[in-house]
Amino acid sequence: MKYAARRLLTLLVTMLLVSLLAFVAFDLISGDPAEIMLGTQATPERLAALRAEMGLDRPLPVRYLDWLGGFFTGDLGMSYQYKQPVWELIAPKVAVTLCLSGVSFLLIVGVSIPLGLLTAGRSGGRWEGLRTAFNQLCMAVPAFFTGMLLSWIFGVALKWFTAGSFPGLGEDLWGSLRYLFFAAVAIAIPRIAMTVRMLRGTVGEEMGKDYVRTAISRGNDRSAVLRRHVLKNSIVPVVAFLAQTLAEILASGVVVEQVFAIPGLGRLLVASIYNRDYPVVQAIVVILAFWVVLSGTLADLIQQRIDPRLRLGGDGE
Amino acid sequence: MKRRNGCLTAGLLLTGFMVLVILAGFFRTPYDPAAMATGPKFDAPSLEHLLGTDGFGRDIFSRVLQGAGNTLSIALATVAAGAVCGTAAGAVTGYFGGWVDRVLTRLNDALTAFPSILLALVIISIVGPGKKYNVVLALGLAFIPGYARIARTAFASLREANYVKSAQLMGASHWRILWVHILPNTLPVLLPALTIGFNNAVLAEASMSYLSIGVTPPDASLGYMLSEAQSMLTVAPWYALGAGGAIILLVFGVGLIGAGLQSRDKGVV
Repeated sequence: MKYAARRLLTLLVTMLLVSLLAFVAFDLISGDPAEIMLGTQATPERLAALRAEMGLDRPLPVRYLDWLGGFFTGDLGMSYQYKQPVWELIAPKVAVTLCLSGVSFLLIVGVSIPLGLLTAGRSGGRWEGLRTAFNQLCMAVPAFFTGMLLSWIFGVALKWFTAGSFPGLGEDLWGSLRYLFFAAVAIAIPRIAMTVRMLRGTVGEEMGKDYVRTAISRGNDRSAVLRRHVLKNSIVPVVAFLAQTLAEILASGVVVEQVFAIPGLGRLLVASIYNRDYPVVQAIVVILAFWVVLSGTLADLIQQRIDPRLRLGGDGE
Repeated sequence: MKRRNGCLTAGLLLTGFMVLVILAGFFRTPYDPAAMATGPKFDAPSLEHLLGTDGFGRDIFSRVLQGAGNTLSIALATVAAGAVCGTAAGAVTGYFGGWVDRVLTRLNDALTAFPSILLALVIISIVGPGKKYNVVLALGLAFIPGYARIARTAFASLREANYVKSAQLMGASHWRILWVHILPNTLPVLLPALTIGFNNAVLAEASMSYLSIGVTPPDASLGYMLSEAQSMLTVAPWYALGAGGAIILLVFGVGLIGAGLQSRDKGVV
């Protein structure tokens, strides 16, 4: 419990740091929001009035705290581009991105873990080189290129879904999930290759240890040894890798959302970077960062439940 | 037992071929990449136009060459910047240790939790999207934490090695120990990391350019070409396949080299 408390405290501190960094960085570069909203022709009086209205005349720390509070009250300021509250703009997109990430994650775990375990510890042989090559090839194909091909084959040629028109989660949940599935495949392929490679490495190494040989020589069959002993001993790095996977899904999701025209956070982020719509960029960056840090913390907590040694050592050098 | 390292050989051959073709493209392309109407619009691949032509009648092969040249130089610059700064930072902190090391490592761990492309997106939104040098800057900065982490672990693990201690006893300077004694011994770890870094840089640059916030016209870029090609997939699939294929071959070749290097080092141990 003490470990969990300390971990959560670290999470909190990290999040505060990230949000402070994001706020200061974007505050420094974005210039005067009032001027951006009114244009360069505005009179000084109108500028001053708008600044006062937006609270820009207050010192930086006050504005930071105010903005931070916005994450809890839902008031994150106005978008320059859409003239709409940032929160209203973001909220519906979060669900879409979460769905896409969820489907991708299930795909990655569902395919790579059985595949990795089946092939682990059976390295060598004459297919080894070809297998490594195929693995590298899967990692070499950019997710957005796979996405383009998938939407061309299944969307345009086979018409299994209508490329470019996302039905919307609220209107047609099943249709939306089917649409997201193809995007998820594009995201998952390189990551599946990486996960299989990692699993083959860690599980394969464990399979080579003496206790495994002993267990097998005493008449246990390979899959039982794998299930009962090896998995337990090699699961800790796997959990960390899967947490990293959650973060990577988010990153390739940014691009793949664009390919499939999925109205998610990533697409809004890219559009906002392009339009220099800083309040939106700022908010999305913090949300994405929170997601990454949270998944890392969860992984740590899960790991220490699995492996009590981590609880004692704590941070461990 | 000496085994043939098929991955390394194949990777070196493929990468060598790609680099040669791209280098040749710096000096000469079959057509002017920007020239329109070098042939009929949407011409299928033929001997005159190896990868066909696009909607303006531009020669796609020449454009792919030019784009790949940009991608290659950006990736190399990024890897160089990221690797040099990252290795230097990681080496110094890992070797000297102490509280500075602990604080920096903690900070760096938080940074490496973020996928480098997300970091690069944040940095590019700060320095301004759509410019070639900003892409190098953003990617270079985004890749530093990863290298620093790998280098720190490698240098910290060798800090107590016997040959380091004896060099210290013989009065060698820290500077000399770091770069002459320890660095060569970290190469088995750092070199594969370089190949992975190169591939990440190529993919990240292509993604950012595809999103039109990386390299944008008038500079040629494979990623931007793919975003153009997407709308022409039904009429001119060779456009997308040409640009995408160039990325894939480049990344695949270097990936094979990385895998080959790793398996070679495992064989030695």
